[in-house]
Amino acid sequence: MKKIYQKPVITKLQTGFMNKFGSSPLYARKVRTDIDGVPISELVEKFGSPLFVISEKQLREKYRQIYSAFTNRYPNVQFGWSYKTNYLKAVCAVLHQEGAIAEVVSEFEYEKARNMGIEGKDIIFNGPHKTINALKRAALEGAKIHIDHFDEITDLEHIADEIGKQIKVAIRINMDTGIHPQWDRFGFNLETGQALDAVKRIASGGKLVLNGLHCHIGTFILEPEAYGKEVEKMVKFAYEIEDNFGFKIEYLDIGGGFPSKNRLKGTYLPPDVAVPPVEEFAEKITDSLYSNLRPGDFPKLILETGRAIVDEAGYLITTVFASKRLPDGRKAYIADAGVNLLFTAFWYKFNIEIDREVQGSNEPSVIYGPLCMNIDIIDEGTMLPPLKRGTRLIFSPVGAYNNTQWMQFIEYRPNVVMVMEDQTVEIIREKEDLSDIERRERLPDRLKIK
Amino acid sequence: MEKIKKQIKAVLNSYSEILFLENYVAGFVILLATFLNPNLGGAGIIAIISAYLFARFLGIGETFLKTGFYTYNSLLVGLSIGYLFKLTPLTAFFIVASSITTLIFSVMLHSIFSYYLKIPILSLPFVVISSTIYLAVSNYTNLFVNSLYPHINFSFLENYLPFWISGFFKSLGTILFLPDVFVGIVFSLVILLVSRILFMLSVVGYYTGTITAAFLTGSFATAFSDISHFNFILISMVLGGIFLIPSIKSYFIALTGVVISTIVLSAIKTFWSFYGIPAFTLPFNFISLTFIYVLGLLGFPYVAKVIRKTPEETLDFYLTNIKRYRGSYNTIHLPFSGRWTVWQGFNGKWTHKGNWRYAYDFVITDESRKTYRNDGKQLTDYYAYRKPVLSPVRGRVVKVISDLPDNPIGQVDRENNWGNLVIIYDQRGFYVEISHLSQNSIKVKEGDWVEVGTFLGLCGNSGYSPQPHIHIQVQPSADIGSYTLPFSFVSYISQNRFFSNDLPKEGEIVEPVFPDKSIEIKMTFVLDYTFEYEVIKGEKRENLSLTVKMAPDGTFYFDSGKGQLYFGKHEGTFYFYRIDGEDPYLKLFFLALPRMPLFYREGLRWEDFLPVKVVTGGIKKSLILFFSSFNHNLSHIQYTGKFEKNMKITGKITSKLLNINETVQVELDETVGIKSIKFKDTYIKLKKFIHSKEG
Repeated sequence: MKKIYQKPVITKLQTGFMNKFGSSPLYARKVRTDIDGVPISELVEKFGSPLFVISEKQLREKYRQIYSAFTNRYPNVQFGWSYKTNYLKAVCAVLHQEGAIAEVVSEFEYEKARNMGIEGKDIIFNGPHKTINALKRAALEGAKIHIDHFDEITDLEHIADEIGKQIKVAIRINMDTGIHPQWDRFGFNLETGQALDAVKRIASGGKLVLNGLHCHIGTFILEPEAYGKEVEKMVKFAYEIEDNFGFKIEYLDIGGGFPSKNRLKGTYLPPDVAVPPVEEFAEKITDSLYSNLRPGDFPKLILETGRAIVDEAGYLITTVFASKRLPDGRKAYIADAGVNLLFTAFWYKFNIEIDREVQGSNEPSVIYGPLCMNIDIIDEGTMLPPLKRGTRLIFSPVGAYNNTQWMQFIEYRPNVVMVMEDQTVEIIREKEDLSDIERRERLPDRLKIK
Repeated sequence: MEKIKKQIKAVLNSYSEILFLENYVAGFVILLATFLNPNLGGAGIIAIISAYLFARFLGIGETFLKTGFYTYNSLLVGLSIGYLFKLTPLTAFFIVASSITTLIFSVMLHSIFSYYLKIPILSLPFVVISSTIYLAVSNYTNLFVNSLYPHINFSFLENYLPFWISGFFKSLGTILFLPDVFVGIVFSLVILLVSRILFMLSVVGYYTGTITAAFLTGSFATAFSDISHFNFILISMVLGGIFLIPSIKSYFIALTGVVISTIVLSAIKTFWSFYGIPAFTLPFNFISLTFIYVLGLLGFPYVAKVIRKTPEETLDFYLTNIKRYRGSYNTIHLPFSGRWTVWQGFNGKWTHKGNWRYAYDFVITDESRKTYRNDGKQLTDYYAYRKPVLSPVRGRVVKVISDLPDNPIGQVDRENNWGNLVIIYDQRGFYVEISHLSQNSIKVKEGDWVEVGTFLGLCGNSGYSPQPHIHIQVQPSADIGSYTLPFSFVSYISQNRFFSNDLPKEGEIVEPVFPDKSIEIKMTFVLDYTFEYEVIKGEKRENLSLTVKMAPDGTFYFDSGKGQLYFGKHEGTFYFYRIDGEDPYLKLFFLALPRMPLFYREGLRWEDFLPVKVVTGGIKKSLILFFSSFNHNLSHIQYTGKFEKNMKITGKITSKLLNINETVQVELDETVGIKSIKFKDTYIKLKKFIHSKEG
């Protein structure tokens, strides 16, 4: 066989030290030939490339792992599946089967949950923009409405008058838990007394019944203690409300924001080291509950963890379409998927695996997407051996936020498949074609090209 | 008027009690029968009334007297005197004196027997006093001169019946000093009407004993003419149907008793006749009491703990309750949160042995039943490690040890077997010890009051613990390593089934539940709450009003006017306990929801068993119970409840024997109680709820 010509490059030798590549920079390979036992080649052959693959097994396992970390510590736990993380029906269905209720943040998501067959009472309605129509439907169907601002209180009071009954509501609060940035744009601030004002406002109106508190301290939080602080403040506030206003706070929704084993750009340590295990979060949260709750009182603890459950169950298979050498000597590959499909590429450095053993030493490489856009870069610098055209690259974890935030831009969106627990593969979202994109378009007659 | 009625009933009950029936109608028939010999009847009445009055004079409790429990021995003594002597003022005086003596002796003997031996007195006072009297009267020439009289018998019936049939009836009559075929027939009819089981036992007992005696003596004619063979009847009835739960084993014991009593009877007769006194019921008392004592001592499973009016009712109650209420009185909650696996139960194969056999160990397992992730060489690999341990009871912390280290995997601490521990005193009178907690994780201290679910500490690996787990035991003292007592867990879920009070098996995955306040309020029925229902059955519409009332023993019940439905809540479960009276609609309530978890989760199921009387009545019920005594699984009426959406309940009632396979729908009201019940063509729905009748 004829040897392929490789332009000689010089790479700095790093040995014996901890380095940002995790292991031997020259010969480390991450090879993945299958997902849950289904060969990558078979998947691509059947469903094309690029291809989103979601593992049912890993999804369920992760859910159970996180869920039991909490239920084995506190007896009254409910998970709410954060629709915005991934609202593909099959994903939602698996998680609902596991026992999660729905957490939605818009009229669209509310309708989506109802359409899945979830009852109103099993929907948590968050979000700063709830239209009057959506609020009314949610009130009539007994959803858990989490109020974001004073205007929403007014809206709900009007609706209560209209439907002629009191509406059960919770309020969203924000607070200082010692982390930055502090999320203060959602709900009512605790420290400034705004949250208490909201409670007073609700109590004086007499049309709403406050039965829960909600707080979401941020996203991809790596400090478990922040949740301990959050819970402590929420429990104290709940008792303040119960003792002074006669409301019974039946549940505390502490939001989500738990990290997945993904690597934020700019973090030096690999996620296995940087990301605390979920057990640590659960321990801090329940410790804080037990030390602040009154004996015999177990309000429902609701968690809206999204990313931590679904991220690691998702893979994106791409194919090296072409390669080139950049003027600075770096190798560059053009993959058939880019930021159009991987929205989270803007902040994550993905785990990149190759579908086969490859000879040759690693060199710094850039991975570009297929878009004719300068920003379409999946990885600005990673160590890869020389790859032939047609080699598959598998990016992970990509289960969270990509199937909801991806865009139809320049390229069609590909198939999404789920590898089921019995190793069969099901399409859960079919790839797009022209008709999908043009279906909503209207071309005025006079503009038609004759 | 009411009071006199009660007293008359009490007197009549003394008569029926002699044949082990608690039924005043039967008592009245027996009373009438005694008047076939007016001297006998009169003597009986005098004896019973004097005993009853004296008992009242002494202030013996009314409820006790009502059953005829203390007075039937006096009655027997009275009859034994009336049998010998004509009624004269002198005999009457003699009867009164003997009757009171018997009462006093009965009370004393009852106190001693029930306290020391835990056995009844049966008719032992009668045997002792009557034997004494018969010995004494040989000196009372005055009585003999005036009062001995010839007995009249309706012996004509004997000519029509073969000797082996008339022998049975005569023996039966002799129990009340009426050795007469006609009386025997009346008695056997009374017994048959009240209880088929007792009737069967009386017949089988008699023939077993008599045939045994016939073989031993070699003469059937003599055996069947021996009227003292009523002892066999009594032994058979009392062992097979009264003090033991009717069952094949009980019947076998009864007949064993009968067979060996033939020897006792002969021996007693030989000895007693030397002094001119009959054997009375001595063989019966001797054999029955010995058996009851020994069976009780050995913990024979069929010793009846609750004796109801007839063997059939005792059986129905026993069969239903043994299935309905498992577990124990030392009830505790699971000491953790979430799903844990039973690693070792009572009499476990590793360490739960001997004095420490009543203990449970729990671990957490994953889908492949492993207790750890990775290779299991680190404590932190174990799922149970550092998971919260919660208080299983309400009580006071009496001992805490918290400074022992968590052993690395592969090592155990043999010095401090129990490791870090918490001992809690439950005011019901027992201590709960939880062991092997993690070093310095215990947050409670000695003297703290804890509620169910209070955080105690974290699961660890201290003490004799090969891997992190929670060990829990119930013990009679606060000492570390004390011997253990049986206990059971309340309110837990296993395989999506709710268990009210039970013992999970090894390997079972269990999850505790904590009562749901909203559902608990729904099932809180306060005195005088009245629920007015409309019953729609086809075209028929009726009203049903249920009012909450309290029984003297403190239990609450729904009163419908025609019946009482007892209910209560215990450790996270609502129960309908039992039903009295005959109200078909109350039975429907029982049938629709014999129990309910005070915890709602859609799809949750639970099981219960229904008594035969709730499902069917009359002859069918009697027959089923009669045959059930031979096979306890025969009258298995199972109930499976299931929570549907929105707190609706579907109950499935199934019984193979009765060929029942029905569904009942129950809806709970938004505020309190049951909103509607739908069963077959009957629909009961709540019209109005009133807080109290006055209000």
